[in-house]
Amino acid sequence: MNTQDSPAIRTAGLGKRYGSLWALQDCSVSVPRGRVSALVGPNGAGKTTLLKILAGLSAPSAGEAAVLGRAPGQNTEFLDSVGYLAQDVPLYKRLSAGDHLEIGARLNRHWDAGAARARLAALKVPLGRPVATLSGGQRAQVGLSLALAKRPRLLLLDEPVAALDPLARREFLASLTAAVAEGDLSVILSSHLLHDLERVCDHLILLAASRTQLIGDIGDVLATHRMLVGPRRRIAEVEPGLTVIKSTQTARQTRLLVRLSGPVLDPSWAVTEVGLEDIVVAYMGLEASPADGQLTEIGAAQ
Amino acid sequence: MNTLVWRLHRGQACIAGAALIVLTAVLLITGIAMSGTYHDFVAGCAAARDCGDPSQVLGRDGLLTDWGLATMAIPLLFGLFWGAPLLATEFEDGTHGLAWTQGVTRGRWVSRTVAWALLAALVWGGALTALVSWWRGPANALAFPGVRFDPGIFDIQGIVPVAYSVFAVALGIAAGAAFRRVLPAMATTLAVFTGLRFLIAEYARPHYLTPASMLIPFGPDNGPPGSWVLPSVVTGPGGQRYGSFTFQDVPAACRSLWPTPSYPPCMTAHGYHDLITYQPAGRFWAFQGLEAGIFLVLAAALIAVTFRLVLARDA
Repeated sequence: MNTQDSPAIRTAGLGKRYGSLWALQDCSVSVPRGRVSALVGPNGAGKTTLLKILAGLSAPSAGEAAVLGRAPGQNTEFLDSVGYLAQDVPLYKRLSAGDHLEIGARLNRHWDAGAARARLAALKVPLGRPVATLSGGQRAQVGLSLALAKRPRLLLLDEPVAALDPLARREFLASLTAAVAEGDLSVILSSHLLHDLERVCDHLILLAASRTQLIGDIGDVLATHRMLVGPRRRIAEVEPGLTVIKSTQTARQTRLLVRLSGPVLDPSWAVTEVGLEDIVVAYMGLEASPADGQLTEIGAAQ
Repeated sequence: MNTLVWRLHRGQACIAGAALIVLTAVLLITGIAMSGTYHDFVAGCAAARDCGDPSQVLGRDGLLTDWGLATMAIPLLFGLFWGAPLLATEFEDGTHGLAWTQGVTRGRWVSRTVAWALLAALVWGGALTALVSWWRGPANALAFPGVRFDPGIFDIQGIVPVAYSVFAVALGIAAGAAFRRVLPAMATTLAVFTGLRFLIAEYARPHYLTPASMLIPFGPDNGPPGSWVLPSVVTGPGGQRYGSFTFQDVPAACRSLWPTPSYPPCMTAHGYHDLITYQPAGRFWAFQGLEAGIFLVLAAALIAVTFRLVLARDA
């Protein structure tokens, strides 16, 4: 496969089993290059598992994955192309940020020492103190700087901001946005904090029940989902162009969150836009995928 | 990789270096004192043409057995504090995920990390045994507090301490790779190392080479000087061997002499001898080589297991 034109990630039927339990099952996704992709889903949906497989840390039990056209594995071309920041940002606690940067420079071929130092200096992160003495926000910045200094083509971030206070979170995401603006970088960022994701991401991967439920550019996702409110009626009577994701019935009213494949024709509906958080929560509540397949791909057909 | 290993473990290396300096100082001070005592003694008995009982000479210094036995534990300490935490700390802190997503393969990471730890075990083990072997020189010459094959004497000098050190570190590393937690790795290292050392010293070591045998006068089982005497049997006048020799087997003429000093010569005069089996003193280095070989082969197997565990398992 031509690694230049291949998508940032592409998985087919990807699964990971721990004992008899599937942590990730039948995951088939494709994310174009240059996207900042939000990976969302409830706890246990397989987000961490997916990121570990993509980072080459975990071998899939089923299916296959390609990152920038290459199977994740123990070769330097792959390792050079991917940056990874694990949950809780593990660092060598007795070493300083400066030590980490020096080690990174020895272990990587395309190391950008200047940018990493400049970024940490601008954030006033002390380079000489053991990282164990730094704040959570500072450690996250050190971790991000290390991952970015590799000059990866794909950056995988596993809930990097979960433990941070709002200010540190905002600074972290600002650093990330600035880095994305600088170069040819694709990012997959998992988080529960949809509000933050909406600010920095332009693409969405929604995993639930260990399967992909929804994938697409966030703009398209927002454009194709609407809240409909109207007089009470049976769900089966809803016009065929609408796929009901979530419904709430009261004695007199029916509220539907629907995915559109065309305009809403029935004038008795009051149509309003829905925020990303409501859409995501509605999909998370689904027992199985709304459509026949496991995947609802938004914007792919256009 | 070398920078990473050094940065992570330089603290331990400094502590181990300091400990080695302290041990060197102690052994030099006591060793020089012992050496002086020994030379005075040898000069004294040469002048008097009688050495008497040499076992009491060095014992007067009161330092010998204690310090000698203390160094026996050092390879275990390497296993506990270098080997066990080496990989287990990375897994416990999650930093293996950081290391494995840098631009070096996992194979290179584990081989460099393990190689440096084993090299450190080799160097420190070598320094330790060189010191102790020198320090034991006078004691070896006087065969005090025992011959060089005895547990606690055999195991602190020659080349086996190096093999023990390498094995202990390899064991700690493998346990750390298997459990991925520091404490269980340390506990396993402690149990397996002491258990195996005991079993091999007790049950395997006497059989490394077929023992020599020799008929000696009835009485104490004294083998040739410096040899390691193994179990013996009594032989009778007709050459018959007694599996267990009881008082019923003693000829009437000698019974009344027991337990006086005249009893053994009486027995010998009546044709009773001791058939001893023993490992000759000259086999010391062969035994050292064989025991070192066993532990080095085990260490190699443990390192192979470590590689498998690191390369085959998920992060």
